[in-house]
Amino acid sequence: MLAIGNLPLLLITFIAPFLLLVAITPSYLRFLVRRGKTVDDVAKQPVTKIPSPIGPVIFIGAAAGEIIAYLAYGSLVPLAVLGASAVAFVIGLYDDISVLGGKVKPILLLFAFVPFSVALLYEPDLYAARLFFPILGATGAHFTIYTLLVIAGFPIVANAFNAMDSLNGQMSGFTVLVSLALIIGTVLRSLAEPTFSLVRLAATLPLLAVSMAFYIFNRFPSRAFDGNSGSLMLGTMFAALAITDGVEIAAIIAILPAILNQFYILASVRGFVERRQMGSRPTYMTADGLLHASGDPTAPSTLIRLVLLPGPLTEKELVKNILLLTSVTCLLSVLTSVLTWVH
Amino acid sequence: MRLPPLIGISVVAWLLVILETYLFFDVIIPVGPALHSIGVFTAIALLKIGLTFGLGVLWFFVIVSLTEIYERSLERRLPPTPSS
Repeated sequence: MLAIGNLPLLLITFIAPFLLLVAITPSYLRFLVRRGKTVDDVAKQPVTKIPSPIGPVIFIGAAAGEIIAYLAYGSLVPLAVLGASAVAFVIGLYDDISVLGGKVKPILLLFAFVPFSVALLYEPDLYAARLFFPILGATGAHFTIYTLLVIAGFPIVANAFNAMDSLNGQMSGFTVLVSLALIIGTVLRSLAEPTFSLVRLAATLPLLAVSMAFYIFNRFPSRAFDGNSGSLMLGTMFAALAITDGVEIAAIIAILPAILNQFYILASVRGFVERRQMGSRPTYMTADGLLHASGDPTAPSTLIRLVLLPGPLTEKELVKNILLLTSVTCLLSVLTSVLTWVH
Repeated sequence: MRLPPLIGISVVAWLLVILETYLFFDVIIPVGPALHSIGVFTAIALLKIGLTFGLGVLWFFVIVSLTEIYERSLERRLPPTPSS
C-alpha cells in the first residue's frame, strides 16, 4: 500500500529517467544533425529541418526507469512492460529507417505480447484478467478473452498514439496528460487495495518522466521529433501499464481522442493506411501559416480536421485545442477511477 | 465554441465504453459455456457472437452519426481547397 516510506524509491523511478533524457538528448540531437538525420517540419512556413528520430533516447530513459523499478522491487512487472515496449521500439525504429506498410505494422505489433507471455509463466498474477468498473465493481475473470483483447490492444493503442504524432508538442503533451491520468488511477487503486503491489506504480512513473522530458524538446517550436520508434514505444508502454496496473477502463477513457482519431481514419479510408499513403490530405496550410480543414470530400476524417472545421488555426493554437480536449477526457478518466476505487 | 461538440462526442464515447465493455464482460461472456468448449456453430455461441457484434455496431452507429452531424453542419462553410 502507498505510504510515505515508499516515496523515495518511487521518486527515483521518476527522476532518474527524466534527468537521463534531459541530459543526453542535446548531444544526441547534435549527433543526428551531424549524420543528416533530419525531417521536414511541414507545418512551418518556411519548412524547417528537425532532428529525428529521438525514439532511441526515449527508450533508453524508459528502460532505465523500468530497470530501477525491477531492481528495487524484484517483480517481473517492469521487465514485462519494458519487453513489450522494446518490441514496439524495434518495429518503430525499422519503420523510421526503412518504411513498413500500413498493414504490416499492426501485425508485427501483436508480438509485443510475447514478453508478457514469458513473464506470465513466472509471474501468473502479472494481470488480473478481470475488469473493474465504476460503481458496478469487478467482473469475473475471463483469462482467454481478456488475453485475446490484450494481444489485440497493443497494436490498437500503439497505432492510436502514432496517429496523434502530427504536430509540434501534440504527441508529447498528449502522453504527459494520459500518463498522469493513468498514475492517478493507479494511486487510487493502491490506496483502495492494501495488497496492491507498488511495483506497478513504480513501473508507471517512468512513462510520465520520459514524456515530460520529451515534451521539453518537442513542444512548439519543436527541436526534436520522436519518429515511429518513439510513438509506437510510448503507446505500447501505456497499454502494457494499463494492463498490469488493472486500470484498463480509465486508461481507454483517457486516450479517447486518440482512439476516436484512429476510428475516424479507419472509418473514412476503410483500412490501415500509412499517413504518407493517403491520397488526399485532411488539412492544408496557407501562406499566412494557418492550418485549414480540407474541403475535399475524399479527404480522410481526422481529429485535427474536426478541430479545424470551425475555422483555421495556427499550429500552436491547434495543439492547444487538442490538448484541451485530451485534458477533458483525462478528467473523465480520473472521474472513472474515483467512482471505481473510492468507496 | 470550437471544442464543445467534440467534448460532447467524447462524453458519449465515455459512456458507451463503460456500458458496452461491462455488458460484454459481465453479461455476454458469462452466458453459457465458453466458446472454445462448445464450438462456434451452436445457438448459444452464435447468440454471444451476435450480441458482441451488436455492441460494435451500436458504437459505430452512434459515434459516426454524431461526427457526421458535426461535420455536415460545418463543411458547407469551408472555402474551396487549393489544388496544390
